[in-house]
Parts: sequence; structure tokens; C-alpha cells
Amino acid sequence: MHRSIVGARIRQRRRALGLKQAELAQRIRISPSYMNLIELNKRRIAGSLLRRIADALSMPLEELDGVSERRLFETLSGLANHPSFRTLGAEVERASELIGRFPAWAKGLGELAQSEQEATLRVQLLSDRLSNDPYLSETLHRMLTRIAAVRSTTEILNEYADMSDERRDRFNRIVHEEIQSLSEVGEALTAYLDRAEDSERVLTPVDEVEAMFDARDKQFVEIETAAALLAPSLNDVHSASLRSKAKELAEERLGSVIDDLIEREPSIKTAAAAGRARRALLDYAVGAIVMPMDAFARHAADTKYDLELLADVFSAEFHAVCHRLTALPRAGSTPRFGYFCANAAGTIIEMMGLDGFTAQRYAAACPLWVLFSAQQSPETVIRQRVLFPSGERFVFVARARHVGPSGFGRPRNYRTDMLVMKEADAHQTVYAPEPSAIVEEVGPGCRICPRTMCQHRVEDPLSE
Amino acid sequence: MVKRVLLAEDEPNIAESLTFLLERAGFEVSVKTDGRQALDAALSDTPDVLILDVMLPEMSGYEVLRHLRADRRAETLPVLMLTAKGQRADRETALESGADLFITKPFANSEIIDAVKQLAEAGAD
Repeated sequence: MHRSIVGARIRQRRRALGLKQAELAQRIRISPSYMNLIELNKRRIAGSLLRRIADALSMPLEELDGVSERRLFETLSGLANHPSFRTLGAEVERASELIGRFPAWAKGLGELAQSEQEATLRVQLLSDRLSNDPYLSETLHRMLTRIAAVRSTTEILNEYADMSDERRDRFNRIVHEEIQSLSEVGEALTAYLDRAEDSERVLTPVDEVEAMFDARDKQFVEIETAAALLAPSLNDVHSASLRSKAKELAEERLGSVIDDLIEREPSIKTAAAAGRARRALLDYAVGAIVMPMDAFARHAADTKYDLELLADVFSAEFHAVCHRLTALPRAGSTPRFGYFCANAAGTIIEMMGLDGFTAQRYAAACPLWVLFSAQQSPETVIRQRVLFPSGERFVFVARARHVGPSGFGRPRNYRTDMLVMKEADAHQTVYAPEPSAIVEEVGPGCRICPRTMCQHRVEDPLSE
Repeated sequence: MVKRVLLAEDEPNIAESLTFLLERAGFEVSVKTDGRQALDAALSDTPDVLILDVMLPEMSGYEVLRHLRADRRAETLPVLMLTAKGQRADRETALESGADLFITKPFANSEIIDAVKQLAEAGAD
């Protein structure tokens, strides 16, 4: 429905701005005759060209290409399938007529439907958070422990009438102490939940993008398929300009695939998240063009997942190889990888989790991770064998890279990339630790770490 | 002969209650409050049953169990794991690590006593 109106919209807007067709064509660096064909809807346009026109006409992209109407049509069609609408026999096929004839009513109805959907999503997110937030999980653990003590002791007091007075007094004191602690944990939990309710949004843009990657198991088949077709065009490109050429190809040829993907993605709700998702998926596309998955998976296994060797083989950057490893398809015993990136302030700026690996999501991570110490030895790959309080063992592989312009006297700013794998998986890689390698005791982050005696602790656990 | 139970539990009040219950049920009980101490005691004293909390300081219950199962002196030692996390993943991790039984907190006292009796009898066979 929307494609046929793009040209008309461009013409309408151009005229409103008092621009001549040739002037607009010049601004977006195409010929006037091509511009004319576009305005007459005789050429389909998308991707970066459409974006350039929208920029030149100072209008939002979705207004120009009719995506707003299409979204509204989809929303209303979805609404027609809502149980309460279905019983009314709402005519799905007449949704576009409604949009055309009563645009304000259609928009209002669409907004109501969207707000209902957002409310439902929010409930789902809160429910998900209750079961996955390590902070809450740790607090519930403490609460259950206190309840266990109260339950066991009160059962003893009820069932063993023959105990000494001294013993009875002691058990009564235990019940009292435990109930006191239980009420403190309860208060702390209530305060935490109040703070969570006060926050305007449940998710940050970073969370939204991560949710998108998680929902797809970090693989985007449509990008992989399109990228595999583009990869041969890099065959004659010199390795020095490989990445810039791949970036250009990704933007030009995969921009619309990525835009469609983001548009369909339910976890991307805000403009900030959409922008972030676009950048992340463009990076993903560049990786997929430079390191096509079939060849990458083969070389990864052959080199035993050696990050530097893989970077050499594909003329790719270290962090791009890390990203690519997280996207390896699940197959048999293929190792699974997680990825973290931290800046010089120790803030985690990117995180791709790993099943079974707990990191503190809403506060700083454990300072003992090599992610934070690797900046002391830039450009050097460092391995760390770690033991979490849960008893799980992991292997971390980190390297700090210089970011920003180079040159004598310029400040040197670093970011650290860190790959995470289970120790059991590490045995298939060059990073397999020798049995005698030191195992460092680390944690997920102070607030949820039970290592009470740790000298690096900066924050008490929630209910201590 | 009196059966000996090693209780690895860092929560002093729970340890006290369980010690009382187990002694009343006729067991001899010794308590260790961190994972390393529990591992050493399990290997050197060879108790009849080990009650092992999952969340222990120094070394987690899973880690203790992994060491025990790799050591001939304790590869068949009956182990009952205790945790406040009742999720399926925790249960699976406990059983995969080599636990014989798994009980979640809060528990009924009779559950613990029955489980320990069962393990002590099985170990004697």
C-alpha cells in the first residue's frame, strides 16, 4: 500500500519547501531525470537513498515512505484479532479504508491498542525480572534461608516437649532473631521494588537491543543470507580497505533489510533503542560480509577458536571476531561464547550473555574480572580461569584495544573486549587452562556476591 | 554402631536446629561452616552421610562435591544437598555434580531426618 505514495509525498514536501526538482536532485547527488522517475513512482527506492531524501526534505523517514500507515494498518489488523474484537466480527480487510476515511479515529484506536500492548509487555517484563534478576534471586534465597530456620526451630519447639528450659530459651531466641532478620530482608526487598516501580522505564535502550539479540539467539538469518551473497564482491579488495568496503556494502545493500528487521522487532520500543539496534546490526552485517558464517565456523574450529588467528585469516578486528563467535549456530558440541566490552571507566558498554553465566545487570560487575585489569597491558591477550560462588567455572579471554585517533601526544583511550566461555567448553579451544593454572575466585558483582570476606568488596549484599 | 553425619552449613541457627534433630534421631553430628573445611573433614573423617549446603563460603557445595567425587576416599559417600534455590536448574546441577538427594529450604524437619536415615542405611549396604 505504501510504496505507491512515496513519490507523491516527496513531490508534495519538495513543493511545500519551495525547492525545484533539480535542486533536490543535486542535494542528494542523483540526476534530475532519476529524481523525476522517483517522484512519478516509476522507481522503487529504499535504504540510504530514501534516507538521504528524507534528510534533504527534513522529514522523518517513516513519514516519507508510508511506514506510519503501514504500522497503523498492522496494529489495527492485530487488534481485529484480539479476542474481544473477534467476537464483534471486526472486518480486518477494511482497516485501510478506516485509515483513509477516518485518519484521526484510526490513529486514536491504534494508539489505544499500542498502549494496551505496552502495558501487557510491562507486566511480562516485571514478571521476567522477578524470575531472572540476580539481585532479586539472591534476596529470595536469603529470605528462604531465614524461613527455613524459623520453620525448623518452631517445629522443634512444638514437637520436643522434653527439652531443657535452657535449650527451649535458646530456640525461642533463634526464632526471634530469624524473624527480625526476615523482616529486614522484607523491608529491603520492598524498597528495591519501590525503586523499580519509580523508574520510568523497565528497560534501557541497551536492554532493548540485548533483548533483540537474545530473542534471536544472537543470529540474524536474513542478514547472514544477504551477506553471504555480498561476500564474493570483497574477493579483489585489498585487506587494508576490506572493512570500509564491507561497511559501505552493509549500509547500501543491507540497510533496508536491517530497517525492516528493527521495525518488526517487538523488543525495540524507543527511538534511542532503534538507533542503537541499527548500529549493532550494521556491525553484525559487516561481520557477516567479512566473515561468512560457513567459512568462519570452519576456520574457528580449525584454529581452535584462536581470536588473533581468526582476526588474521579474515582481516577482521579482534572485537568483530568476538562478536562473530557469539553468533555461531548451536550445533553438537560447538562451544558457546559470551562477550563483554568495558570502557576505561570500567562501565560495561556491551554485553552478550551466556547461558548459566550470572553478571550483575543493574550495577558494576566484579572488579576482579580480567575485563578491568586488561587495560594495564594493552593489545595483549590475557586469559583468566575463574570460579564463581555458585561453583561454576569459566574462562575469560580479554584484550584492551586503543580507540580514537592516534598520534604522538594524543591521549590514549582504551576499551577492553572479553570473551566468556564455560571451562568445559574451553577445552576445545586454544584457551584451555592447564590443570595447574590458577583458579581465581571472582563473583557476579558485589551486591549479589556471597563472598563476604572479599577485600575488593565495595558494596554490601542487599540483606547483610 | 552410631552413624556419623557431617553437616556443612554456614547459617548457625539452621546448623543448631539440624544438629539437635539429628542427635535426637541417634546420629553423631559434626558441623563445618565453610566449603574447604567441609571438604577436608569429609576426606579425613569419612562420615556416613554428608549434608551439604550449596551456598557456602570459600568453596561452594557444588565445588566440594566435585572434589569429593574425584577422590577415591569419598566417591561413594552419600550426600544430601540443601539449597534455598528450588529451581529445576539447581536441582539438575546438584544431581549432575553427584548428589544422592536434594532438598530445598524451607524444609520440614521430618524430610531431612527421613532422607539422612535413608542415605545412612543405603551407605551401610
